[in-house]
Amino acid sequence: MPTTKSPRPTLTQQAAEAFLTMEAELLDERRLEEWLKLFTPDGLYWIPLDDGLPAEHSVSMVRDDALRREERVFHLLHTRFPAQSPSSRTLHMVANVRVIEGADAGMVTLRSNQVVHEVRAGDYRQLGLGERHTIVAKVEHVLRLESGEPRIALKKVLLLDRDLPQGNLTFLL
Amino acid sequence: MAGRELPRSAHRDDEPGAGLVLEAPHKFRVHTRAYNDAAIFRAEMARIFEKVWVFVAHTSELPSAGDFKTSYIGLQPVIVTRGEHGDISVLVNRCMHRGAVVCREMQGNARQFECPYHGWVYGNDGKLLSLTHGREKGGYSEHFDQPEGLFKVPRVESFRGLIFASFNPDVMPLESFLGRTKTLLERRFNASPTGEIVFRSKPFVARYRGNWKFQSENIVDDYHFVFTHGAFIDLQAKYGDSTGNFGLHPGGSAAEMRKARYRGNVWGCDQGHGILDAPSAAVDSFLSGPFADHYRSVRDRHGADEFAWIVGRGIASIFPNLGTIHQQIRTWRPIAPDLTEVAIYPYELKGAPDSLNAGMLRAQERFYSPSGYGAPDDVEMFASNQQGLDGRAVDWLILERGVDTDERQPNGDYHGQPSSEACQRSFWRQWQHLMSER
Repeated sequence: MPTTKSPRPTLTQQAAEAFLTMEAELLDERRLEEWLKLFTPDGLYWIPLDDGLPAEHSVSMVRDDALRREERVFHLLHTRFPAQSPSSRTLHMVANVRVIEGADAGMVTLRSNQVVHEVRAGDYRQLGLGERHTIVAKVEHVLRLESGEPRIALKKVLLLDRDLPQGNLTFLL
Repeated sequence: MAGRELPRSAHRDDEPGAGLVLEAPHKFRVHTRAYNDAAIFRAEMARIFEKVWVFVAHTSELPSAGDFKTSYIGLQPVIVTRGEHGDISVLVNRCMHRGAVVCREMQGNARQFECPYHGWVYGNDGKLLSLTHGREKGGYSEHFDQPEGLFKVPRVESFRGLIFASFNPDVMPLESFLGRTKTLLERRFNASPTGEIVFRSKPFVARYRGNWKFQSENIVDDYHFVFTHGAFIDLQAKYGDSTGNFGLHPGGSAAEMRKARYRGNVWGCDQGHGILDAPSAAVDSFLSGPFADHYRSVRDRHGADEFAWIVGRGIASIFPNLGTIHQQIRTWRPIAPDLTEVAIYPYELKGAPDSLNAGMLRAQERFYSPSGYGAPDDVEMFASNQQGLDGRAVDWLILERGVDTDERQPNGDYHGQPSSEACQRSFWRQWQHLMSER
């Protein structure tokens, strides 16, 4: 695999892939408190609905600052609600990872293509359960290196099917 | 056992709705088949969706000549177009020749629509402009009864930017049909200094495996909130407005939120609409808050009493498939007895501060997004309802909350007590009326 030509890459291809697969593992194992710690305090977790309009004029699927991420994780781990009763199981596949050096020192952007498979537990014979969902997205991570450790300043998940009707997306992508 | 003394439904094909809504002293029940029978669903498309006014677009989606948007009236695909002179047409999206749709886009601008199959061309007013290869030997007869153009939906009217169409040439005027919901819509839109709303954001669109009428019932159902949305109440208690609720759901604790919901008016309207409304009990918070200038100008324009209604509660289910709540217009499209598509359009108040409109978007994505803390739970319940109805050993669903406290008004509307099912009963009365008309 070709890697960046920068003489001292901020993040090697190998480190970038390791970071993304580690994040995927935290999400799939529902280690969500640990996932929260991957972000910078001013980080944004964003799933746009419309990539062509600024957020000031468009709703997003998700547009979470730190407090909203904390709330989302609290909702998933500590409350009970119909859309996650029974709960989802997910499996993230991370591919086509590219490392793009940021203009600012200490910033690096990772682009990846991700496929998330999701199923619900419970009685698969019932309407609304027993469906296999495949969510396909272009994912961009803008990382800030804080004392050598990458932290997420932006995670943007651009769904391939963002213009189509959506099903239940009450889990993390 | 409740229901044992009730009759089995007496079904007749010429009156498909007969016997499916049971209203008797202290009783109001709806038969299972009204939600899950394919023959009933087909009858609804003809007897309801082709008989009443159906919302098809908002004028802000078609600002310029040539703009179009595709939409549906029941299962029928239509194109809503704005012609050269600003006039709106609603055309059945079907080539008169062999039936192909002539427009495959959701929205755009076009002077004409060309059928890709055999090249017939229609103007954006529907008129047939050219018919290809007509004069060849094997072409059309000189006696050919040539269609004038795309089928034009005979009635189109709009109210405050909401465009409705009806296949029924004799349908009553739109404003009579809207009845009491007219005042509610005016109040919602009067929160804009110009009284206008704008559809700018794309809508949230969700599909659920349940009947369309669950959404008509649910948008004006205060009873479900503290149960279906119990987790959201926990979030509100913990986070309040700090995560962007923007005052949409007043009340910090579960008890306060329940109180807020069980206050105000419940209206069931004679055309099948339902309303939950109440003037704001906290008018000062608007006049002294971060958007004080905006709200003061709205108050000065409409007066203090009306202002309390404008910033108060105003939720409506407009028969058969349109609703409003918070700063959104919602419409739900029947696809099959057990499949429905809901589109939620968060609108902007024209002339209001950008940060107010943006705040409303953030608040709505928190609750109504497919990843949100509210709407996914509602559609989950609709699929769950549909599943449960397979237990057809039970004939009837019970819609009897407040059945003895409804007050019938001279115009046929019913005023109900908070948390009653007066809205749902009026919906079903109108449903039965249309479904059993000979």
